[in-house]
Amino acid sequence: MRDGGPEGTFVLTSEPQHLARLRDWLRGELTRLKVENQEQFGLQVAVGEICSNSIRHAYAGLGGKPIHVSVQGNENRLVIEVRDFGKKFDPEAYRPPDFEAVPEGGIGLHLVRQFVDELSYDVTQEQGTRWTLVKYRRRE
Amino acid sequence: MEIQVAQSQDVTVVVPTGDLDMGAADQVRRVLTELIDKGQLKLVMDLGGVGYIDSSGLGTLVAAMKQARAAGGNLKLCALQDDVRSIFEMTRLIKVMSVHATRQEAVASWG
Repeated sequence: MRDGGPEGTFVLTSEPQHLARLRDWLRGELTRLKVENQEQFGLQVAVGEICSNSIRHAYAGLGGKPIHVSVQGNENRLVIEVRDFGKKFDPEAYRPPDFEAVPEGGIGLHLVRQFVDELSYDVTQEQGTRWTLVKYRRRE
Repeated sequence: MEIQVAQSQDVTVVVPTGDLDMGAADQVRRVLTELIDKGQLKLVMDLGGVGYIDSSGLGTLVAAMKQARAAGGNLKLCALQDDVRSIFEMTRLIKVMSVHATRQEAVASWG
């Protein structure tokens, strides 16, 4: 894993043990952008879930594969991109969680949507999926 | 993740410390499955030392709860930090899992 790249970008490889370092880095970026603690937690969950999906589905659990995370922000909104280079996200294969049946899985994207205002994905690249998470900033 | 297991009368208390994420979920699953397989079915998980949980962590706890219930026991939770509690609320698991404010309360609930 490395955390090089331009400012606001983190590169990790697809081992679940690296998610903690991603969260540490993200916390630092969000602090730099003056995001309040409660919102930081939600965004850590959201980004972590997208990266977990990349590890589990795009890379089928294989380690050593790259995931790029970038954060940009201004006074109006935060934009976080997560990019993997594995199997593309297939919305047809996604099954939303059945809360009546006490779900053990499928709740990752449900959680992401609780914490961001917009969630989109782009599978037009040759490889992988680019996820974009947008959070609008509350004005005091 | 550090996981301690303690006995309080006939209740087994599992105390993880750290983040219950995809990186720790397998470790937690192994500990809980081993306890259930050994017949320790009155389980309490004290989450006071867990400041972060993701869907993998939730899935692990739900699976263990189902396994314990199927064997005649249960996995009860206690001492959830506010952020962690919010995740249980968003996923509605707060309604189907047995959640208590303190470890003492959770242990006592076994009667």
